[in-house]
Amino acid sequence: MTLCVVQATPTIPQERYHEDLTIRPLTDGKVVTAFTFTTLLGGASPRDPRDAESSAQHYTLFPLTLGQILREYSVTELHLSLNAGKWNYNSWGFPDHPSVGTGAELWAWMADGGPLSVDDRWMGLRNALAGLFCASLGSLDDRRTSSPASAFPLSSVPFPHDSTPYALRHATLPSEHVCTENLTPFLKLLPCKSRAGLARLLDPQRVFDTDWHGLGVHVRSTEAGIELRLGAQAVFDPVRRSRGKRRDWSFQSLFDRQIDVACPVASSSTIHLVVPDIRGYNLSPEPVASNDTVNVYSPTSHVPLDIAMSWPEEHIFKYPLPPPAPQTPLSVKRTLYGSSQTRGVLFVSFSNNDHSPITVGYLETLPALVTLWMHTMKVDVGGIARDDLVSDMIYHPPLLLANGHHGPSTLQTTLTIPGKSTLRLSVDVSKTFLKYTEHPPDAMRGWDLPPAVLFPVLLLLDGERTNASLAGQSIPKRIYTPTLLVDLPTPDFSMPYNVIILSCTLMTLIFGSIFNLLTRKWTIVKMHD
Amino acid sequence: MDSTSLFPLLVSFRLLLACIPLHLISGLQHDHQLSSPLTSYSRLKEGLWLYSHNIDPYAGGVFRHSPLFLSIFSTLLPPLPIVWALSDIVGAWALLRIWRARQRVGKGSGGRAGGLVAAAFLLNPYLFLPSLALSASTFENTAVLLTLMFASEGKPSAALLALAFSTHLCISTLLLLLPVLMLLVTSPVSQLASPQEFRGDLRTTCKYAGQFVAYWLVLLGASSLMVGDVYCEQSYRASLTLPDLTPNPGLWWYFFTEMFDHFRPFFLMVFSVHLVIYILPICIKFQHDALYASFLLVGILGIFKAYLTLADPGLFLSMFALFPEVYPYLRHPIVTTLVHIHAALLLPLFHALWVTEGRGNANFYYAASLVMGVAGGMGVVDACYAGLRIAFGDVAEGERNNWAVVQE
Repeated sequence: MTLCVVQATPTIPQERYHEDLTIRPLTDGKVVTAFTFTTLLGGASPRDPRDAESSAQHYTLFPLTLGQILREYSVTELHLSLNAGKWNYNSWGFPDHPSVGTGAELWAWMADGGPLSVDDRWMGLRNALAGLFCASLGSLDDRRTSSPASAFPLSSVPFPHDSTPYALRHATLPSEHVCTENLTPFLKLLPCKSRAGLARLLDPQRVFDTDWHGLGVHVRSTEAGIELRLGAQAVFDPVRRSRGKRRDWSFQSLFDRQIDVACPVASSSTIHLVVPDIRGYNLSPEPVASNDTVNVYSPTSHVPLDIAMSWPEEHIFKYPLPPPAPQTPLSVKRTLYGSSQTRGVLFVSFSNNDHSPITVGYLETLPALVTLWMHTMKVDVGGIARDDLVSDMIYHPPLLLANGHHGPSTLQTTLTIPGKSTLRLSVDVSKTFLKYTEHPPDAMRGWDLPPAVLFPVLLLLDGERTNASLAGQSIPKRIYTPTLLVDLPTPDFSMPYNVIILSCTLMTLIFGSIFNLLTRKWTIVKMHD
Repeated sequence: MDSTSLFPLLVSFRLLLACIPLHLISGLQHDHQLSSPLTSYSRLKEGLWLYSHNIDPYAGGVFRHSPLFLSIFSTLLPPLPIVWALSDIVGAWALLRIWRARQRVGKGSGGRAGGLVAAAFLLNPYLFLPSLALSASTFENTAVLLTLMFASEGKPSAALLALAFSTHLCISTLLLLLPVLMLLVTSPVSQLASPQEFRGDLRTTCKYAGQFVAYWLVLLGASSLMVGDVYCEQSYRASLTLPDLTPNPGLWWYFFTEMFDHFRPFFLMVFSVHLVIYILPICIKFQHDALYASFLLVGILGIFKAYLTLADPGLFLSMFALFPEVYPYLRHPIVTTLVHIHAALLLPLFHALWVTEGRGNANFYYAASLVMGVAGGMGVVDACYAGLRIAFGDVAEGERNNWAVVQE
């Protein structure tokens, strides 16, 4: 019956499914794994928000639950990531999927127009995704939403027929934690679920035991159609599992599983193993293709597949000392210091590990819990103030919204970091005093501040910046700084009645005394008879 | 030492204080006792920064100062401590002139007492500490004193303009409108000992009220032209709805931090109306001495104002110098002083224990602010008592054991 429907409808788009796994063993013994499951809905395009009628949706490989959400809110481009842990750029290099900010991050590009406003659709989208992925995405409300378009540019192909304006909505929830309840709906979006193919390896017991793990959903529209990329990344530490002795690993030891069934609907399924520079390891089985840096395996031809890597010469693994040079051209540290609960200093240091200057965009999005004092912003390199290295600064104060909330404040600038030096940026911040009802139940824990984002900038070779060597290069992908924890001053939570009673008593005492004085009549009395 | 030498000495002392390098006293600028979100210096600097970068300074809820400060400090002169010192000196001079008008002494005469009046203003720690912290409350106090000075000297236009300015800077000063209007049509000379019915011309009073409204609207219009109507939203509404719950020595902040959400609008209304309630009874009872009525209302503001700083009770305490005739009738001046000292020492201590040291909690500071409220209340109640009691004179020395003046 289903087959008949498919054959009878000529407009059914061509769907293709690819799966890919990249494994990078690192010199410090860690193993970075990145799963990418790509579904291409050929010939399809996002719904124009102005089109009222909604055609029926028939998918064979593309997940219907996600397709319905995308259609309902006419989302052109969607990026959702749920991560736990701090991505260590210095040792692990750039991640395969760049969205590695701690917590939940959601951003969507939507075409404007139609009966529903972009903000209404954004609200519907995040609530629908919250339901789909069992995550607290519903709390990504207007207190956390901003639209930093240059940091998160539109990568989709816009509608060809007219110049529809597109709007970006971006929000992060750093305190969100990714766990099994998010992985289960994530795996349900795959055509083979976790029963076959590479997704067979995603055992929650093991994936959520890693040093860093994250899930990502990325939808964009390309020339070929709508592309859905589901990504899962994890950084395993085989040394820890072997109690600090060996860095040998295999699928069986990392995932507690091996690939025993290939996914029959996958048009391609590949495993890329980035081989380390240092020698002295054994690899099994033999790759189907290889070059100097990458070994390629195919689980379709080779089932069951259990790739294993071992260092037979090495009895006890020793961490490389001194630690290897940073893997990324730029290292970033962000701290919030100051012992007072009312004030502090936000301090970001950017270290250029390269010899040529690097120009990056810097985006700070802070909820209105903390206020940036922009007049105190200082930029220095080696103790010397260098305001000339800051350009294109855009600051949006926390706007008061119609519902009484304050939106986030955003600071976006372009920074040029000279070669082999450290640029330090500091801004005073003050912490807000909240009503007692606005504090979370664990108020003393503090509030998480979202990560700052460094993003590549297009270096314009015009006017002031004709000298390309002065501005240098930019970074290839976004860099997320770790999140921050800010402790806000707390009121006493057991006091509402006491405060009402005591304050009102004082007011009535003064009020009563004054009116007593003003209204009573003065007389002279005889003290005793 | 007479006032001709004491006043210049105080002025030069105040100017010397203005020369302290800013970074030495930067701790004062962030002190919650000395400046509120409506008056703080760092917010003024932030507003100026935003304004110079073409960002609406009122958008973020950070800047709530008057647009007048924006225009003055972004064009005429930078916000230097000397401006605050000059404002303090003008305030002291205005207080001295009010005192002269009340005592009916000419310029130059008045002797030592005149110098002491200036000293009561310039050496009052409640006033010069906020001034060193570069809090805008210094300008508010000076505007209030200029209003009373012009009103005492019978210069209606100048007085009403000054009142319009001080209302523009701080909406709570509107409380002083009625006594200032009364003062304009009567005399500043002390009538406390011989109360009479109000004999001012009501039509003239209404005319002055209209004049005040006109000045105020002009100021509002000028502000609106400059920054749009967001100023009223950010500054005037802040005094009524308390959006920023930064602690201060007043009673509002902790009350509304701890308030249940659904009762919040009701109690905001209660707290605002409560301020207004005092105007009529005090003005009726002290209709014979409008300057004393305004003094008492300044005292009320110094206890119950939203976003209170120490400068508000400070103005009330300094104004005590204007009324030496009531001193013999104060019932407990020493106790009031001691409670004030107690509160003034506890406030910074408990504030530090709560937010800096982390050893105390918010209740500590709240308790200190309650003590501050008690101290303020004792001062106002005592002043009110003495102002009424003076009319009944003294019982003769030998008869004190037999007769007493009391209220029924």
